[in-house]
Amino acid sequence: MQNGMQARKYRLQGAGLDLALPYLMLAPGLTVVLGVLVYPLWDGLRASTRAYRYGSPVADVGFHNYVQLWSDAQFLNSLWVTVKFVALSVSIEAVLGFALALFCLREFRGIRLLRTVLIIPMVITPVVVAILFRLIYASDAGMLTALSVAMGGGGVQILGNPLNAFIGLVVLDVWEWTPLMFLILLAGLQSLPHEPFEAARVDGAGSWRVFADLTFPMMRPVLAIAIVLRTIDAFGTFDQVFVLTRGGPGEATRLISIYGYDTAFKFQQTGYAAALFVTIGLVVLALAFSAIRLLRRIDAS
Amino acid sequence: MSSVLYQKVVMSFGALNVLRSLDLAVPDHKFLALLGPSGCGKTTALRILAGLDMPTAGKVFIGERDVTRLQPRDRDIAMVFQSYALYPQMTVAENIGYPLWIRGTPDAGRKAKIGEVAAILEIGHLLDRRPRQLSGGQRQRVALARAIVRDPAAFLMDEPLSNLDARLRLTMRGEIKRLCQRLSATTIYVTHDQVEALTMADFVAVMHGGELQQMAPPIEIYDRPANRFVATFVGNPPMNILPAALSEQGVIVAGKVVPLDDARLAACRAASIAEIGLRPEDCSAAAVDTPDALPGEIYVVEPMGNETLVNVRLEGGNVSVRAGREFRGVVGESIGVAFDPANACFFSSAGLTAVHRVNNNGRVT
Repeated sequence: MQNGMQARKYRLQGAGLDLALPYLMLAPGLTVVLGVLVYPLWDGLRASTRAYRYGSPVADVGFHNYVQLWSDAQFLNSLWVTVKFVALSVSIEAVLGFALALFCLREFRGIRLLRTVLIIPMVITPVVVAILFRLIYASDAGMLTALSVAMGGGGVQILGNPLNAFIGLVVLDVWEWTPLMFLILLAGLQSLPHEPFEAARVDGAGSWRVFADLTFPMMRPVLAIAIVLRTIDAFGTFDQVFVLTRGGPGEATRLISIYGYDTAFKFQQTGYAAALFVTIGLVVLALAFSAIRLLRRIDAS
Repeated sequence: MSSVLYQKVVMSFGALNVLRSLDLAVPDHKFLALLGPSGCGKTTALRILAGLDMPTAGKVFIGERDVTRLQPRDRDIAMVFQSYALYPQMTVAENIGYPLWIRGTPDAGRKAKIGEVAAILEIGHLLDRRPRQLSGGQRQRVALARAIVRDPAAFLMDEPLSNLDARLRLTMRGEIKRLCQRLSATTIYVTHDQVEALTMADFVAVMHGGELQQMAPPIEIYDRPANRFVATFVGNPPMNILPAALSEQGVIVAGKVVPLDDARLAACRAASIAEIGLRPEDCSAAAVDTPDALPGEIYVVEPMGNETLVNVRLEGGNVSVRAGREFRGVVGESIGVAFDPANACFFSSAGLTAVHRVNNNGRVT
């Protein structure tokens, strides 16, 4: 028995295969990340410093593309449209989502069904949502026109009118993404402790004061994260606009993503489009960082 | 300050009756402990008084006022929660001042009052901190400060000490008692800890299964328990219960006839008693051949330092005996359990106390 134990060969820890194992395990994932994330990013950065012209060789132009952006009226306009769109949509979604989440926190008959129904818009394919809204907005046979005619009015111009088209786009985004806000905020509300709220009721606070003094301050971190998430996401809105208006009428709904798409694939200015998207990426990154830093400051004070 | 009255208060969730017709009166300026095991309805009773839950039926009065359907904020009460329930985003000073602020007390008056209660609870140096920067004991003090900053009609406390460690619990127990005596406040204190209830309260209300078992001053709860539940729930180690039968001369316990005086024997007969109850400190270890001592065998010996708890196996069940610290018995040894029958109480088969011990408060030794 003892001899048998001694004869057995032990594999020591921290040697040979043991050392290589973590790297072996990491290798496949690392390869994929390098291939589909790091390389394209690097390639995009390189493309943004080049000029691709049909019939002439690829030229290195340094930061020329980046500089040119800021004197491009179309770029500046699309940036402005995007900022308006993001600010308006995200703030409406935040308010609506918070209100809905507060409402759905109560327990009553049918609440589970209601919560589920409220999520539906978010899980529909964005292109499908856009097609649905096109059917609603269409000036000839759309639902809004039909309603208006039924009530004795005339045809309704949504997608043909610059202001209406922009509002229509915001409405679509609010319809589709309020559920995400709602979901995040509801989860946040449900994770808050009960007792402080009961204490506040005993201490004399009414519903409004409970909201202003407890719910809102306690929800601030969750709200901020939801807004940051939605803002980053909204900056990249593309498919809905592409289906609904293609950026029109004129430039009324031409978000930065549509302008970038046009630049790259309609006008074949690949280098310029790359510079545009790198710039936007940096802007969004800066926004997110400052939002998170602001949040930390509020928390620490 | 005001008295508090529960009138036939019922609370049920569907088929589950958490409270079955609770009648309870707390006199003005008195400290009442609601004592019972978990699920006995004591916290529900407190929440109904606070207005956080609505009773299914019955009425609640604070002073002369029927508050049954009033909002918590209109009841003029202050509450301390088990988890302290401090407002995490506010500083300690803001926490304490909140009940005043919400009622529109001017800044100067509020600051003065915050300083005053902070001084009483010795947390003056913590006023600028946030709750998460405090230890459990400090949070407890802030919660108490927030409760006493106003002058409410009643204080409600829901197991305020149960989240503290054992040492701190002991200190805070004394402090809360002092504080309540100093404020001379009507206080309802929910606890499952009988030591807290007995040491702090003017009255103890023992609850079980949604029903009030007994309400009396602590000594009376201990010496004259109304029934078997109160007798065994209060006291540590709990009262020993042994089956008992009647004979001509006395009561047969663990195979021995225990003589009783005529009056008590008659009372036992009248109630056809089923069990005898004996406090561990009323029993003593004796030689196995001592006359009238119940013969048994040592089951467990637990030296506590100041005394020794001896568990003895008798015919009919085990009993705890408080022996002196010098007790030197060995497990398995034969031993006698001696007691004075005047200190025993007797329960009817329904579990009610049929015959109490002879002396109310003084012990017969």
